[in-house]
Amino acid sequence: MKFLVSRLTIGNVIVGAIVIILVVLPVAGGPREWLLYLLLFFIYLAMANMWNLLAGYSGLISLCQPAFLGIAGYAVAMGTWVSIPWWLGIIGGAIIAGIFAILIAFPVFRLSGIYFAIGTLVVPEALRLLFFLWKPVGGELQGGGAGYIIKGLADVQMSTIYWTALGIAVASAVIMRIILNSRLGLGLAAIRDNERAAASCGVNTFRIKLYPFLISAVITGLAGAVFYVYQGYIEPSSTFNVKWTMIILLATVIGGLRTEGGPIIGTIIVVFLYFLLARYAGYSLLIQGVILIAIMLLSPQGIVGIMRNTRFYRAIFQLANRRLANAKTE
Amino acid sequence: MTDVGTLVSPIIMGILLGGLYALIALGLSMVFGVMRLINLAHGDLVILGSYIAFACMTYLGMDPILSLVIAIPVLFGIGFFIQQFLMSRAFAISAEAPLIIAFGIALIIQNTNQIMWTPLSRGLTTAYSLSSFHLGSYQFPLSYLLNFIAAVVVMLALREFLRRTYLGKAITAASQDRRAAQLMGINTKMIYGFAFAIAMICAAIAGIFLGMTFPFTPTSGIQFLIIAFGVVIIGGLGSIFGTFLGGIILGLVQTLTGFFFGPATQMLFIYVIVLVILAIRPKGLLGR
Repeated sequence: MKFLVSRLTIGNVIVGAIVIILVVLPVAGGPREWLLYLLLFFIYLAMANMWNLLAGYSGLISLCQPAFLGIAGYAVAMGTWVSIPWWLGIIGGAIIAGIFAILIAFPVFRLSGIYFAIGTLVVPEALRLLFFLWKPVGGELQGGGAGYIIKGLADVQMSTIYWTALGIAVASAVIMRIILNSRLGLGLAAIRDNERAAASCGVNTFRIKLYPFLISAVITGLAGAVFYVYQGYIEPSSTFNVKWTMIILLATVIGGLRTEGGPIIGTIIVVFLYFLLARYAGYSLLIQGVILIAIMLLSPQGIVGIMRNTRFYRAIFQLANRRLANAKTE
Repeated sequence: MTDVGTLVSPIIMGILLGGLYALIALGLSMVFGVMRLINLAHGDLVILGSYIAFACMTYLGMDPILSLVIAIPVLFGIGFFIQQFLMSRAFAISAEAPLIIAFGIALIIQNTNQIMWTPLSRGLTTAYSLSSFHLGSYQFPLSYLLNFIAAVVVMLALREFLRRTYLGKAITAASQDRRAAQLMGINTKMIYGFAFAIAMICAAIAGIFLGMTFPFTPTSGIQFLIIAFGVVIIGGLGSIFGTFLGGIILGLVQTLTGFFFGPATQMLFIYVIVLVILAIRPKGLLGR
């Protein structure tokens, strides 16, 4: 027990040190490029963590994450047109994304498994069409396919956006940890393994599935809103796009679905890939698709799965050696 | 006040369009019925069929319907490969693995289409696809009638195939009870491969008729995937008649909403209808 506690604190110290380094990086004069990579890393990490919560721990393969981040992004953009400051817009956007999640939960939660996945796939497509037609603010030239510029960002520093994204990424990881150690985490595990059995044991399956859906919508919305504040511009066809789903899925699956560390490792690789493939932008979806299929077939638990397996084999190997040594001394 | 007479045209158009939608949904319904897999790549495979016909037309000067002799074997092969080498392994891994792999395949095909044929909007325009026919005092595009005829022919052919041939009977058996089919000496792994491949034949035919009716881009796949899914959801599974009815209902929704609210809202209404039906009757309107 003592060993476990001391180990945990060492781990925490390392994590804390990394977070502190990340926090002071913009002040310490880290290169602007690094800040950009890290900003994307934070945003993708928050989204991947939330998808892992849904797909890995709750059995909800949601393909509507672009809906949440797009709604929050549009809330920020439209808010700045009626002179709501961007930071208030981010919070408001996340809340709207959460309300939207509750609304669509009624139709899509009647579906399970693969039906759920395709039901959620419809949502961003419908929203894309809606935002092509709906122009509540701005003149004839703004909105619709032309999109909105986010106003009032002239005096916003890159470091401010960076810190906001860092905060959201850390919050997403902390929320994951809290949920997994709570009653909610237990309920989710029960539902994932056998929904009918869980329901007959008195688990309110609708509500227990709604919580992670709602939380993921809010956090994904926050991360998406920060991304669009960084980009300074939003339009429907790249917002409600399967490319977002692909990034989120890839980050989680490469790292390891249903593992806490998976999204972190996966997101690092996805950000690397993003800049590595920037030169071959036309082929990036193709390459990502091949990687996704290969990882899924070769190591369904991703890189964390591979690492676990090797550690497992090493442990067996050590055990065997010890037995051998014991046998010799006897 | 809209005159009842003006409604005749969108209603007939909707029914004819329903044939095309049923044709697109047929492959999805078959893969789902036999392997319990929602093939997220179905829409993109249909669009691949459209692009193959487009390539045959522009490079070889072939008629789109004639280009089926190339599109059918290509998609048959792709379908067989996907099932034998990817999906059959994925099913052993976990419940979500086939879905994630299908998603990957969808993006690979979409990106390949884009690399080979650029993101521009294309169409299969022939002399007869632009011409029209008269029905009383109303005028309709000939391509819509061709869609409807093709849908009826493919459906009847598929039904007879499933009922009369050994392969068809084996597919039906494997979809009803895989274990029992295996005990009867059916190689279900092989049968699944053929079932997927035959579904892809339907996709190839659907793609070609789709290309003659609508313009398409590499990203159109998802739109037709949702339409196909809507048709399957409305019509219920495994029933060819239900698929046909589902197609006609969605076709009518599209033409009537286009008539009343303008063409820009057509697809939005289809998506909303699909979501509403999912909320009310997740097992389909005709499902048990």
